[in-house]
Amino acid sequence: MKLSEPVLTKRIPTAPFGDPKQRHTVGFDEYVKTGGYQALEKALSMEPTAVVNTVKDAIVRGRGGAGFPAGLKWSFLAPIDGGRRYLAINCDEAEPGTFKDRLLCDFDPHQVLEGIAIACYACQLDTAYFFIRGEYHHQARVMQKAIEEAYAGGIFGKQGLLKGKSKFAVDCILHRSAGAYICGEETGLLEAIEGKRGWPRIKPPFPAVKGLFGRPTIVNNVETLAAAAHVVERGADWWKGIGTQSRHPGGMPSFGPKLMGVSGHVNRPGVYEAPLGVKLSELVNDYCGGMRNGKKFKGAIAGGVSMGVLGADQFDAPMDYDIGRDYQVLGLGTACPTVFDEDTDMVAVARNIARFFKNESCGQCTPCREGSGWMLKSLLRIERGDGTSADLDLLLEVAGSMGLTPGTTICGLADGNNWAVRTIVNKFRGEFEARVKPKFVPVYVTAGR
Amino acid sequence: MAWTAKPSATQRIERRAEPYVTAALQAKWTQDILPKYATKHGALMPILHEIQHEHRFIPYQAMLEVAKFLEITPAAVLDTVTFYDEFTTEQLGQCVIGICQSIACEVCDHKKLLDHVRQRLDLEPRETTDDGKFTLLTMECLGSCDTAPVALFNDVLHEKLTIEKIDQLIDEAKAGNAAHGHA
Ligand SMILES: Cc1cc2nc3c(=O)[nH]c(=O)nc-3n(C[C@H](O)[C@H](O)[C@H](O)COP(=O)(O)O)c2cc1C
Ligand code: SF4
Ligand code: FES
Repeated sequence: MKLSEPVLTKRIPTAPFGDPKQRHTVGFDEYVKTGGYQALEKALSMEPTAVVNTVKDAIVRGRGGAGFPAGLKWSFLAPIDGGRRYLAINCDEAEPGTFKDRLLCDFDPHQVLEGIAIACYACQLDTAYFFIRGEYHHQARVMQKAIEEAYAGGIFGKQGLLKGKSKFAVDCILHRSAGAYICGEETGLLEAIEGKRGWPRIKPPFPAVKGLFGRPTIVNNVETLAAAAHVVERGADWWKGIGTQSRHPGGMPSFGPKLMGVSGHVNRPGVYEAPLGVKLSELVNDYCGGMRNGKKFKGAIAGGVSMGVLGADQFDAPMDYDIGRDYQVLGLGTACPTVFDEDTDMVAVARNIARFFKNESCGQCTPCREGSGWMLKSLLRIERGDGTSADLDLLLEVAGSMGLTPGTTICGLADGNNWAVRTIVNKFRGEFEARVKPKFVPVYVTAGR
Repeated sequence: MAWTAKPSATQRIERRAEPYVTAALQAKWTQDILPKYATKHGALMPILHEIQHEHRFIPYQAMLEVAKFLEITPAAVLDTVTFYDEFTTEQLGQCVIGICQSIACEVCDHKKLLDHVRQRLDLEPRETTDDGKFTLLTMECLGSCDTAPVALFNDVLHEKLTIEKIDQLIDEAKAGNAAHGHA
């Protein structure tokens, strides 16, 4: 399954359409010369609600991990009341294994800014915060420069969008985070922009009603907004021609091209653009040149560590939004798989991921704060060879008790921890059992008479 | 990161006569940063970034001065400083080496690098050399998993690292080569 032409990577040479060695940062002039900001021009010739409806019709599912349809989210906004309304662009990208938004920032920042301008017009949002993780130093500089170029080119600023073509004026501000994964969670992100610690908020109220500084706010992923611009330019039907329907009656479809970042034990790791529904095995063999050193596939993180792992027999899983339901993982996430070969120690993988979540828990909810520490401790014990099979049972019990789904936490970080650990233990149980000592079973012997 | 208790109640605050938040800085921030946010509190993170960049830590005295400037409580400033990994209350070395330890880097042999740097600089993660030149940190995914293993040297990312490459980077930093960016 391949795209007939690159969409998001139109200006970012990527196999099979181009050579990554040719990549460079596309500035404002080059962007405009190659057809840039025409989607914005088209959007401005439409009514804002018509733009929202186009994105709604196309079913553009969020690219930040949850897969919530962007158009629908936009339609939940509180009505205009004359006060400020915000867009927060989520470029936190701290989920281990994920590096796709970075590609857009590195090489085609104006594609993202065009999406931002369109979303702001469609939803009538006057201020956009581009929220970028602290460790993206280079990307922050590239985006800052692009934002300045966009102001100079009349996209943003007092005169109104696109040199005043629309009277609606938008400000775009870069906000750097400072090293906290939890700020990728949409309400943690809002707290961080307000200058506070990134503690996720209890929902409802949802950000679309009461978000940044108490005002209506839309939070969208970088790639979602870039995709929305293409949908506006080329129409919902074009978008629906790419990707796949749901395999379940009445299920939500997975339309459009998607950036997929493959890492781990493959020959050519990197970000590729593929239609949703491409099989993981195709991604590895056709796009990434196969497994490294001709080794066998053992498993893969489904799409960011929060999603859990696919087992050795799930290599052909299609990368679409049904993957969660059909392959016992949490979901597609960011569609960025980390691939493991046959020599990988899955106990170490579980320990690594558990350590990540323990370090990044914000500490508000007891099951997440305490559970993540317990899980790491028992995994360290098992890895050392000091664990018993009771540790394994405890591990699964603690994991299964934390998250939004069991209803014990404020945000989804704990679900990520829950799914990652449970799927690894369940799908590679033999490897764990080989490492633990059997539980002490009392044996009663009756001697003589 | 966030939820470890810090001994804030018993903290001795080192003071110096000249302020960190000078009149010139206040004027600059009033012009450049405050208008970007609906509340003064909103300006806190960009301001902390500047202070961290300048001093390689956030001195307690600076926190008090920032609190006064933004008309928020010192506790609110401390709260934010201690939550984010990039803000530190102890001074970092001139060259901060942050080795990624997340999953893609671990399965691509990050441990060899980490062990090598630990031995060569005689440092454990979170420690700084006595001469103040190097701080070693382990970091979570740096968003460059396709070029694992990776590390940040101050604000510059280095990809597909080998022991030879990292040795060379350390040599250059020792020689004071500024090409590796600033903390
Ligand atoms: C712990 C946690 C971390 C998250 N990190 C990110 C992130 O780094 N980038 C992102 O776009 N979304 C992240 N999300 C998802 C956001 O909460 C939110 O759903 C998303 O930004 C919405 O944008 P979208 O609908 O365009 O995908 C995270 C969620 C959780 C629970
Ligand atoms: S689930 Fe974990 S990360 Fe999320 S709010 Fe609760 S403690 Fe914080
Ligand atoms: S795991 Fe090291 S950069 Fe992502």
